[in-house]
Amino acid sequence: MLLFAASRALRAAVTILFVMTFAFVVLRLSGDPALLIMSVDAPPEAIKAFRQAWGLDQPIWEQYLTYIGHAVTGDFGKSMRDGRPAIDLVMERVPATLAITLPALALKIGIGIPAGIYAALHRNSMADRLTMAASVAGFTMPSFVLALLLVLVFAVQLGWLPASGSGSLSHAILPIVTLGTGGAAIMARFTRSAMLEVLGQPYIRAASAKGVTWRRVVSSHALPNAAIPTVTIVGFMVGSLVAGAVIVESVFAWPGIGRLLVSAVANRDLAVVQAILMVIAFWMVSANLTVDLAYGWLDPRVRSATAGGH
Amino acid sequence: MALRESLPVVVPSSWLATVTRRAAALPLGVTLALAWLAVMIGAALLADWITPYSITAFDLTARLSPPIGMGGSWAHSLGTDELGRDVLSRLIMSVRMSLLIALFGTLIATTLGTSLGFLAAHFRGRVEQVVLMAIDFQASMPFMIIALSVLAFFGNSLPLFIGLMGFHSWERYARIARGLTLAANEQGYAAAVRQLGAGPGRIYGLHILPNIASTLIVSMTLTFPEIILLESGLSFLGLGVQPPLTSLGNMVGYGREYITRAPWIMLAPATVIVLTTFSISFLGDWLRDKLDPTLK
Repeated sequence: MLLFAASRALRAAVTILFVMTFAFVVLRLSGDPALLIMSVDAPPEAIKAFRQAWGLDQPIWEQYLTYIGHAVTGDFGKSMRDGRPAIDLVMERVPATLAITLPALALKIGIGIPAGIYAALHRNSMADRLTMAASVAGFTMPSFVLALLLVLVFAVQLGWLPASGSGSLSHAILPIVTLGTGGAAIMARFTRSAMLEVLGQPYIRAASAKGVTWRRVVSSHALPNAAIPTVTIVGFMVGSLVAGAVIVESVFAWPGIGRLLVSAVANRDLAVVQAILMVIAFWMVSANLTVDLAYGWLDPRVRSATAGGH
Repeated sequence: MALRESLPVVVPSSWLATVTRRAAALPLGVTLALAWLAVMIGAALLADWITPYSITAFDLTARLSPPIGMGGSWAHSLGTDELGRDVLSRLIMSVRMSLLIALFGTLIATTLGTSLGFLAAHFRGRVEQVVLMAIDFQASMPFMIIALSVLAFFGNSLPLFIGLMGFHSWERYARIARGLTLAANEQGYAAAVRQLGAGPGRIYGLHILPNIASTLIVSMTLTFPEIILLESGLSFLGLGVQPPLTSLGNMVGYGREYITRAPWIMLAPATVIVLTTFSISFLGDWLRDKLDPTLK
């Protein structure tokens, strides 16, 4: 188990290094940062001073090492917009994002998993068909369309809720509902197919055949086995808690990390973009690592399979 | 099925008769989805001839005029926007742009992913490790975030944007191609062709590719709507297709400003996005059941 955990942690670290390298390479490929950040008609001395200050006159591998060294300590430079450290700007937005993505996650799990289980246990019933139709709609409906439809109904027509902004609980409702309903549909679909897969296995038939009540077959044979693929998708959703609200935050003018990213991209505030990239990567990789370890706990087969192999 | 095939074939009177006979045998949902997609593809191909107005033509006397059904006239059947531009014309041009981007994006992703999958399965060893690591990396970050950072670093232009969309979900094809090629290499037919002296190009292009094509095609029906959604999401944020060009997401983003006074600007493209992605996903599900019993 320890070997398993260690190999997963190593892979997580390698992925983070990959993301850092990606940001470095893409930034260098995109042209001379000095010319990008300073105006074209800046005096040559200023550009030279800038290069010196940022270490751009060093050989490229030395720049890379310095960059990694800084990144490890959380130093991504200063925002070009307001001169504050980029990482601070990013971290202070995280709570706002979590304030809508965590309740949305609860909605996804609270609606999606029971609906998926119910649909699987009543295959081809009316409820099953409705769940499946809703889940396809949830997959094909872009979040901004759902968001705008909700705004149109609840803010414009009915006037019950504010259309955008933040500050009160009522501002958070529409973003949470937008994020939650789309995700619940996907969750239901995954849970349903995981359940159906398990229900078709011989051991379920064997358990029924030896006289175990159906209720018990479902609760102690089917559900634990269906939990494994379901954990994957829940882990993926936890991983996207920070990154998954880019569009929804923009529609509702919610001051989270996604909206910061969009404005940083529009303004080409590279330090902030890099910091966001790293925070998201770190979060995603930690979530994946947790899921991997949870697998090891849920499923003894994973633990005993060789550590680190594909 | 077998019974029907064993019956004497009714000689089809014409090509058209064959098509109608086959179409009648399809489930209703599939027919509707196909019909919708045919309309969309037709609109995209014929856009230059069927748009009633130029997409940049202002009609300042008819600003924000509502569509038919909400009190509008046939002059602008889907209404006009703030500048008096015809919504129907812009919608047709947007369909063309969004389908074009999704088509090229899907083709790039399929080609890139399949080639990398073949390379990994052919060379094994270090090449395979590199490809697998790249797959891990791609799968570990939400593509929306990667796309946004590339746009931040490089700025935006249409060719770059299309190329970027091609990087969406290439890892899906690389995984499939690698896995199925490894399986195929253990089967007789690949070894047989190799023994006959065929080069790798011939083996992969003429023998393995046709055998794994159905799985790849089913995956394309997933990628295509995903790229439409990604493109329209980015364009909606103002970071995708740039004006004066227009795409479906662009139109929704613009229409959002007028959601109280002129909701039709936003509703028309939103409906098209939803119906198109829904149709393709629906067809994909159906195709998957038809073509690929292993992928359920």
